[in-house]
Amino acid sequence: MEHALTDGGPDGPIDPEATSVEVSQQVVGRSPWELFWRRFRRDKFALGGAFIVIIMFAIALLSPVLASATHGPNEVHLDALDSFGIPTGPSSTFPFGVDTAGRDLMVRVAYGARTSLFIAFFATGIATLIGVTLGMLAGFYRGKIDTVISRTIDIVLSLPVLLLALGLVSACGLSPNGCLGGIIKPGLLLVSYVIGLFSWPYIARIVRGQVLSLREKEFIESARSLGSTNRRIMFREVLPNVAAPIIVYTTLIIPNNILFEAALSFLGIGVPQETPSWGRQLSDAGSIFTVAWWMMLFPGLFLFFTTLAFNLVGDGLRDALDPRTGG
Amino acid sequence: MDRAGPGKTVGNSGQGEGGYVRRYLSVLALVAVLGLVAAACGGDDGGGTGATGATSATGASGELQPGGTVELAMLGDVSAAFDPQKEYYSVTWEWYRCCLLRTLLSYNGKTTAEGGADLQPDIASALPEISSDGLTYTFTLKSGVNYGDPFGDVSVTSGDIVRALERESDPDASVGGYNFYYNVIDGFADFGAGKADSIKGLETPDDSTLVVTLTEPAGYLPYLFAMAASAPIPPNGDAPLGAAEGHTKDYGRFLVATGPYQFLGSENLDFSVPADEQTPVAGYEPGKSVQLVRNPNYDPATDGLRPAYPDGFNISIGGDNNDLYNKVQAGELDGVVDGIVPPPVLRTYSTDPTLQPLLHINPSDAVRYISFNVAQPPFDDIHIRKAVNLALDKAGMRTFRGGESVGEIAGHIMVNSLEDNLLADYDPYATPNSAGDVTAAQAEIAQSKYDTDGDGVCDAPECSNILAVTDEADPYPDQAALIQQNMEPLGLTFDVKSFERTTMYAKCNEPEAHVAICLAPAWGKDFPDGYTFADPLFGSAAIFPSCCNYELLGASADLLSKAGYTVTDVPSVDDQIKTANQQTGDARFQGWADLDTTLMEDVVPWAPYLFDNNVDITSVRIVNYSFDQFAGLAAYDAYAIAPDAQ
Repeated sequence: MEHALTDGGPDGPIDPEATSVEVSQQVVGRSPWELFWRRFRRDKFALGGAFIVIIMFAIALLSPVLASATHGPNEVHLDALDSFGIPTGPSSTFPFGVDTAGRDLMVRVAYGARTSLFIAFFATGIATLIGVTLGMLAGFYRGKIDTVISRTIDIVLSLPVLLLALGLVSACGLSPNGCLGGIIKPGLLLVSYVIGLFSWPYIARIVRGQVLSLREKEFIESARSLGSTNRRIMFREVLPNVAAPIIVYTTLIIPNNILFEAALSFLGIGVPQETPSWGRQLSDAGSIFTVAWWMMLFPGLFLFFTTLAFNLVGDGLRDALDPRTGG
Repeated sequence: MDRAGPGKTVGNSGQGEGGYVRRYLSVLALVAVLGLVAAACGGDDGGGTGATGATSATGASGELQPGGTVELAMLGDVSAAFDPQKEYYSVTWEWYRCCLLRTLLSYNGKTTAEGGADLQPDIASALPEISSDGLTYTFTLKSGVNYGDPFGDVSVTSGDIVRALERESDPDASVGGYNFYYNVIDGFADFGAGKADSIKGLETPDDSTLVVTLTEPAGYLPYLFAMAASAPIPPNGDAPLGAAEGHTKDYGRFLVATGPYQFLGSENLDFSVPADEQTPVAGYEPGKSVQLVRNPNYDPATDGLRPAYPDGFNISIGGDNNDLYNKVQAGELDGVVDGIVPPPVLRTYSTDPTLQPLLHINPSDAVRYISFNVAQPPFDDIHIRKAVNLALDKAGMRTFRGGESVGEIAGHIMVNSLEDNLLADYDPYATPNSAGDVTAAQAEIAQSKYDTDGDGVCDAPECSNILAVTDEADPYPDQAALIQQNMEPLGLTFDVKSFERTTMYAKCNEPEAHVAICLAPAWGKDFPDGYTFADPLFGSAAIFPSCCNYELLGASADLLSKAGYTVTDVPSVDDQIKTANQQTGDARFQGWADLDTTLMEDVVPWAPYLFDNNVDITSVRIVNYSFDQFAGLAAYDAYAIAPDAQ
């Protein structure tokens, strides 16, 4: 039984089961949002995750402020390197130490949050957009459209993602003009596209499955018998009812995408070299961490806590939005 | 000149980049990258003289004892599978010089101070006799210099040298090599083009005499007979190319040695069957390993240049730079041929007195620089080019490479040994502590047409987002960050594109790419003469598709317009190169020094910042180290293993 997030007015069904559970206990009518929030706030881990996510956002947004109060992200401080060019560790001037170029690692890590969160949301947005659209079409129309879309999903899922991403990024990243006649240019956007292109099938599959079962429901039949067009049914009837799984799975692929970007940058083909990125910072640390542990610790911690936080929030959302899992 | 690619390249980045020269070659099909010393060269070139730390020739008091097998590693394979007509790579050159191939002339495998830059007779019994007009060189061969297996009973004759040069003149057999140097021999190019039956300028009155005739005087000629392309190839029946017949692409795997060592399994080579039925030597598996063993036919009495202490070498190919140096520290390896000593390791060996003797630092005769495209605004303006020279923090650039031990700050273009130290103290853009001088640089900018209000900060649009290209491997990105910081007060901002090394060189070399400034090139000498720092870098014949005149000096108006430049007139030093090349002796040194000062003050194609050192560490069981100035690498035959570790 699916859970509607809106009460939907005359067209939108209200999930009878969820409501009835609450009614029997408290005799007070609650909107699905209220129900969701009551469940979610009981989940301390999810709340903690959400708190970390908010902090990361704050760090990302405020990193220029931090930079102006301390050091610019690209400022080279040769005096922070020893005579062999080896960076110095945490100090009062550089709380996180400096990297091999003598740049303030604290500021670089803060800027790295921008990169990671941008990728997280932009790439995930692309994936969600493609995934929901194709999943709905496949589930709703079935038949040949479903066959084509489902097989496409199978094909994309069977591709060696990292290898292909490596190829795409390096092909489009080699020339300053990008590839496909300049449509795709190297940089943050290219990486986002590549990540988006490989993560949509997960969402498409879930959505397709949900829509397949939803389209047989009575409220769809009634809408159809009232003369609603396919488009109206899809957007007004079906979509609100698959919103919950979309939100949950979107939240859960965000950490995957953050790690994907980190992996690409670690391999040296992610965001452009001068763009601060946790993955690239970890990669840079690889050859020198035995004498400069801070270069690996701080980006690593931030990457770890960010992905953990998104995972916790995703789990919390799933529990709160799906009554069958309890919570 | 029909050079087709960059010269021997000097690389040297912190990452395991051993194969970059090879990749470059395979991409371009011709490369003469003189300078990339890269990781590929465990120290490939370098150049300064103010090095700290131990110097070459360590060793070992008492008798050095021959014996034992030296265990080495190479990050990347050699560039052309040991084919002597194709290899244009310092690592291979050292394996040829120390171990595999003797040439008419050669070097003693020591530093400049120990005579390592001086030509020595090797197969020849003496240095060549030169005619008074400088056009004829006569070499006389020693007797009793025999080949290795399977031609152990065959002695080297003058015809075998001619055979090698005939192969060198064939563009297919010498692809990626340096046959352009030999074009000065009369009829060399004609033979290669199929217009003649023999090379007119190479005559062999008898088996022990070779007479070389030139089309014009060229003081560097003797050096060409110390390069492996002129190493003898043994006869095989009546095949014109002897043992190399039928091996246009793979002679390196059938190489017949003349030096103290040969590939393992050379005795099983069978040149009596057709080339495509022959089995290559077991001692070289491309991309995996090299194994050298003693050449039983080598007679040390004919050779005064190679101590040849070890009984053999096991060389693994591949691996990670840091891992390999960890193995050297742990004693599992005796050295890394083409790696870059990681800064933490360098620090450990520099500061621990017990380890210092295992650290070997020597100028490797290479220069690192920033190159300006003089046809691309804003670098068509000499004031901008001078300003960059003044603003650059050269000491900081060096710090990113590992600090003082990696080389001497460069004040000019040619390494000092090629100019007999005439310009050792010369630096027209000297700044306090070599850290750059913004005020002086701004004074230059103020004279530029791109600074419209004359305030010392470039304000023309040409100065913003200048297309810069650099190497993506460490430490170049760090250096790029510093360069950008140095140039910001001048109003110069860059759009820095990072590429894998071979791509980087290709972009810098291609006029149509319109790269304005190239941040990461390096150049090492081919032989100890200024010519290798002149014509291949600044001669107009070295412009694309040749290499490595990235600055487009001497480009014709036609070429510039075809490549899409609005600038129609660029400086040229072709005449000055030609003049210097006609000199000999001290006048020759002076000629190169004059060219250098002209370039630095009147042309300003570069901002040179470092004369590179080669840095090696060896395991504790190696008790003798010698630095070969020719290749800019350790002389491996001089590695001696402690008797109790053999």
